[in-house]
Amino acid sequence: MVIHIDNKEYNIKSGKNLLEACLSVGLDLPYFCWHPAMGSVGACRQCAVKVYKDENDTKGRLVMSCMEGVKDGLYLSIEDKTAKEFREQVIEWLMTNHPHDCPVCDEGGACHLQDMTVMTGHDYRRFKYKKRTYTNQYLGPLIHHEMNRCIQCYRCVRYYRDYAGGDDLNVFAAHNHVYFGREKDGVLQSPFSGNLSEVCPTGVFTDKTLKEHYTRKWDLTMSPSVCNHCSVGCNTIAAERYGELRCILNRYNGDVNGYFLCDRGRFGYEFVNSENRIKRVIIRNRAGEASTEEELMQHLQPLVSMSKIIGIGSPRASLESNFALMQLVGKQNFYQGISEDEAHLNRVCIDVLQSGSVHSASLKEIEQADAVLVVGEDIWNTAPMMALAVRQAVVKTAGAEASQHVQIPVWLDSAIKELAQEDKGFLAVLNVSASPLDELATHAWHATPDDLSRAAFAIAAYLQPGKLQADNFSEELTNQAKAIGEALKQAKNPVIITGVSSYNDNVIKAAFDIAASLNTAGRKTGMACVMTECNSMGLALMDAPAFNHAMDSVRPNGHATAVILENDLYRHLTPNLVDNFLNKCDHIIVLDSLHNSTTEKASVLLPAATFAEGDGTLVNNEGRAQRFFQVIPNADTQVKESWQWLWKMQMLRSQKVNGHVLHPDELLQKMETDMPQFKGITSVSPGHDYTIHGERIPREPHRYSGRTAIQANKNVSEPKPFYDGDSPLSFTMEGFKGVPPSWAVPFFWAPGWNSVQSVAKYQDEPNGSLKGGNPGVRLLQDKKKENADLFFKDVPEQFVITKDKWLLLPKFHVLGSGELSGYTKALEVLSPELFAIISPKSAEALNVKEGDMLQLTDAGIAYGSLPVKVLDNMCDGVVFVNAGSRGTVGMNWGTRINLAKVN
Amino acid sequence: MQTLIPHNADESRRMMQSLTNRAKPVDRRPMNFVDRLYLPAVLKGMSITFGHIFKKPPTIKYPEQTREFSPVFRGLHVLNRDEEGRERCTACGLCAVACPAEAITMEAAEREPGEENLYREEKYAARYEINMLRCIFCGLCEEACPKDAIYLSETFAPSNFARKGFIYGKKDLLIPNPVTQPEEYAKAKGKR
Ligand code: SF4
Ligand code: SF4
Ligand code: SF4
Ligand code: SF4
Ligand code: FES
Repeated sequence: MVIHIDNKEYNIKSGKNLLEACLSVGLDLPYFCWHPAMGSVGACRQCAVKVYKDENDTKGRLVMSCMEGVKDGLYLSIEDKTAKEFREQVIEWLMTNHPHDCPVCDEGGACHLQDMTVMTGHDYRRFKYKKRTYTNQYLGPLIHHEMNRCIQCYRCVRYYRDYAGGDDLNVFAAHNHVYFGREKDGVLQSPFSGNLSEVCPTGVFTDKTLKEHYTRKWDLTMSPSVCNHCSVGCNTIAAERYGELRCILNRYNGDVNGYFLCDRGRFGYEFVNSENRIKRVIIRNRAGEASTEEELMQHLQPLVSMSKIIGIGSPRASLESNFALMQLVGKQNFYQGISEDEAHLNRVCIDVLQSGSVHSASLKEIEQADAVLVVGEDIWNTAPMMALAVRQAVVKTAGAEASQHVQIPVWLDSAIKELAQEDKGFLAVLNVSASPLDELATHAWHATPDDLSRAAFAIAAYLQPGKLQADNFSEELTNQAKAIGEALKQAKNPVIITGVSSYNDNVIKAAFDIAASLNTAGRKTGMACVMTECNSMGLALMDAPAFNHAMDSVRPNGHATAVILENDLYRHLTPNLVDNFLNKCDHIIVLDSLHNSTTEKASVLLPAATFAEGDGTLVNNEGRAQRFFQVIPNADTQVKESWQWLWKMQMLRSQKVNGHVLHPDELLQKMETDMPQFKGITSVSPGHDYTIHGERIPREPHRYSGRTAIQANKNVSEPKPFYDGDSPLSFTMEGFKGVPPSWAVPFFWAPGWNSVQSVAKYQDEPNGSLKGGNPGVRLLQDKKKENADLFFKDVPEQFVITKDKWLLLPKFHVLGSGELSGYTKALEVLSPELFAIISPKSAEALNVKEGDMLQLTDAGIAYGSLPVKVLDNMCDGVVFVNAGSRGTVGMNWGTRINLAKVN
Repeated sequence: MQTLIPHNADESRRMMQSLTNRAKPVDRRPMNFVDRLYLPAVLKGMSITFGHIFKKPPTIKYPEQTREFSPVFRGLHVLNRDEEGRERCTACGLCAVACPAEAITMEAAEREPGEENLYREEKYAARYEINMLRCIFCGLCEEACPKDAIYLSETFAPSNFARKGFIYGKKDLLIPNPVTQPEEYAKAKGKR
C-alpha cells in the first residue's frame, strides 16, 4: 500500500506499524522500546510522528509510530516541528538521570542511546540537579550490570522473560526508581543472557568477558564468521585487536539466528587466545622440537611419499580442510573421525532429509511453525538457539491465533500477550531427560530411546493407519499418539525435531515417518536433525567410512602414516580403539589448534588455524553451507589453515612445486565437480578476487584508530597491512563503503547508527531477510525423488531393563558442552561437574547413594569411575554421563555397560 | 563579474602586480668599471656585518634561555593526573579516534578494588602509546579528551638515537605525581 511520509510516496507492505514502515524505506526515526523481534509496547515515547487525517490536514496529531498500523493513503511526518520537539524533549528528560559517563562506558561508540540523542538534536544539558543512583548487582561471570545508565525502556525484561523464558530478571520498584535486575545478586540463569548486551540500548548490561580486553567497536577488526560450538551454525561477527580475539557479536541472518545467540556461542571464543594453542610446528623425537617450515617439509617428504597415508577427517574442521585431506590421501583412504554409530546416525539423518519427502527446516521456519514435536533430542542443551526458536513458535502461534479473532496486529506485543494469556501453541517433547523446554510443552514424556521411538512410531501409525504393524502399542502409547497426532494434523506448518544424541536410529526413523506422513498437500512439514558438531553435516555429506574402518586398512602390511585433521579422537571414540589405531601407524601427523590427548601422540604436529585465523565453509544441521572469514592476521606466525598445510603436503607428495597459491574457492570448485552432493557450494561466497567497483570490503570501520601506532612497538617502520588473498575482504579501513553483499558483512554500521540497531539498514525490512537474501546455500534439496518411499516400518521392541547392564547415554549441558567453548573460564565455571546420573531405582539396585563412586566398564574398556547423582525423573535402566565438555572422553554411547560401586 | 583568469597580456601584467610597495625592480643594466672592481660592494657588505655587532641579537641562547610561548603552543604530550595524583585517562579512545595521524593506541583495563588511589575512573589505560614520528602536533587529541587527561605541553625537541625511542609509552607521557613530586609536576605542567 502507498503511504506519504513528509509528502513523499512510499510503497509499504501491509500489516506493519509506522515505525517499521519508516525504517524499512531507509528513513531515520528514533526509538527505544520497540524491538524488531519483540514488537511494540509504546513505553519510551521516543518514536513520535505526526499523522494527518488527509492531505489537507495541516494540524495533524502526535502518535507513537510503533503503536499505529499503516493504512493505505496515510499521511505522516517525521520532520514536523512538534514531533521533532517532542522527541528531543523525551531524550532530554531521559538524560536528566543518565550519568553521561560515555568515556567509561563499554557501550560507548556502539550505543543506541548515543545515536538517538544525536539524532534528536538534544545537545545541551540544562538539568543541574542530583541524579538518581542505584546499586549495581553481580549477575555472574558473563554479564556486567551498571544500573545508573538505565532509561526504562523495558527491553531487557521483555527479552529475558517473554522472549527467552527466563524468570530471574525482573523489574522492581516504581516511579523514578524502577530497577531492572535480580531479586538479589547472583548468576543469571538463562543460557541466552548474553543477548541482553545487545538488546539493552544503553550500557546497563554489557559483555563481561570483553572487559578483560576492552576495545571500542570502532577499533575492532571484524569479519563475518560462523559459530563453532554446535550444529546450528549461528552467524557471528568475530572481532580482533592486537592479534587477539576480543569478542563475538551477533550477525543477523533472517533464516538462522536472527538477532540472537546463545551464551555458548557468544562467550565461547576464548580458546582462540588460549595459552594451550599450538603456534609452532613441532617434530617430536629429535633434538629441538620446534621447527621451521623448511625443516618440516624435509621431514615430511619421506612420510607423505610412503605408499599408504590414512586421512582422518573431522566434524569440526571446515569442508575445505576435510576435502584437502581427502585429496591428499585419496578417497579410499579417507575416514570420518567419528564412531561408527555416530556416522550411521548422521547418514540416516541425511538420507531422510534428502529423500525429498520432508523439508529440512531452518531456524526461522521452526520459529514460525504452528506445532512442534521434539523426539529424542535434548535441544535445550545440544542446539540452544533451536530451543529458543521452538519457544517463539509456541508463544507466537498462540499470539497469532489470538490476533485472528480480534483486530489486533501481531506486533502489538502487550495487547497480544494480554489476549493470549496462558495460551500456548502446540509443543510435544518426547525425550530421555527433562529440560526447561518441558514447561512450554503440551505433552512432555520421558522414556528410553527405544520407547521414545515406539511412541513416535505410534504417532506415525495414527497418522497413516495400516502402514506399520501397530497392534503391539500399549493403550497409553496409542492414546498419547492420538492426542499428538491430532494436534499435528491441525497444524499448517508443523516441524518435527530429532537428533543423534540419543544414539538410536529408530528415533530418527520414527520422526521421519511422522514428518513424511504430515507432508501432504496443503501442509508444509519441516524436519530438523540435530548433530553434534559445527560441521558434522558437512563431514557426513562427504560420505566416507567411519573411523572404525581405518583400522582395517592399516592391517595387511602395516606401515602407514596417519594424518589426523583437527580432531581429538579420544573425545569421539573409545580409548582402546584410538590407541589400537595409533599404535599401528608408523607416523602420526596431527593438525590442530589446541593441545589435546591426540596431539600428544603426534610425531609431527602442525599448527592449524581456528575459525579466527582462517577461511572455510561449514554446513549446519539444516544443510546450509556457510562461509567464515579470517579475522586475525597470521603473517608472523606459523599458524595456517589446515587446508593450506594439506595442500603443501600434497605438493610434496606429487613432487610438483609450482608455487601455485591455493584459494578456498578453488577447493570448493573441485569439490563441486567431484561430489555431486555439494552442488551449489561454490555460490556460498564469490571468489577471492571479487571486488565491488574495484574495491575490496574493509574489515575495519572507517574510524579505526591507531593504525600507525598499533604495530609501532614491534617495528617502527610500519609494515604493510596484512594481505588476505583468500577472500574479497581486506585487513584495512579503506575499500567499499556502503552495504556489502549479505555474505560479506563484517560489521553493521550506518551513518548515525553506530549500535547493533544499524542492522535495519542492511535488511529489506525489520526482522526480514538481509538485502540480497540471507547468506548461506542450502545443500539439501526438497525435490521429491520418484517412488522413493522411505517410510520405515520396523518398530523396535520395548526397552527391557536388564539386571546388571545400564544403557549409557550422553548428557549435554547448554553452557558446558563444547570442546572449544570449554576454554572460556566464565563458561567453565558455569558448567556442571562430571557425574554418572541414574534413577532412584537404579541407585537402589546398585546400592549406591548420591556422592558414591561408580565404576563404568564396557566389555573390557574401563572408563574409570564417576560420582553418582540420583535424578528423580530419570528412566530406570539408563545411566547418563556428562558429555561434551573439555575433560570428557569418548564412550560407546547407546550401548549397555556395567556399573559397579567402588568401595 | 570579476574573474581571476587573465584574458590578454595586459590584463595578465596588471594581475601580477605586487602586493606591497616594497618590491624593487631588478636592475639589469650592464656593470660599469666601479661595479667591476667589486670592492665597494664588499665593503658595503662588511659594514652591515660589523654594524650588527652593536645591535641587540635576535637569537637567544637555547637551551639555557627559552622563549616565551604562546598560550596555544603545542609541544610533547603529557598524560595528566588529578590533584590527588590519580591518572585521569580512562582509556575511552576518543583521542585515538580524533587523531588524524592515527598515532595513538591504547589498551584499557578495569580498576581493581584498592586501586582507587591510582586511577580516577573505574577504567584506565593499561597501555597508552603515541608514535611521535607520526604525530603532527595538531592538538586534536587534547581537544577530544573528555577527561582533561591529555594535553600538549611546552616541552619539545626530543632527541634520540633510535627511531624506537620515539614511541612514547605511559612512562614517557605520564606527568609526575603532584602529591609526591610537586616540583617535577609543576615543571612538566608548565603554564597550563
Ligand atoms: S536496563 Fe537497558 S534494556 Fe532494561 S530498561 Fe534499562 S535501558 Fe532498557
Ligand atoms: S552454540 Fe549453537 S546455538 Fe549457540 S550460538 Fe553457537 S551455533 Fe548458535
Ligand atoms: S597532536 Fe594530533 S597528531 Fe599528535 S597525537 Fe594528538 S591528535 Fe594525533
Ligand atoms: S587521554 Fe582522554 S581521550 Fe584519550 S583515552 Fe584517555 S581519557 Fe580518553
Ligand atoms: S519505540 Fe515507540 S514508544 Fe518506544
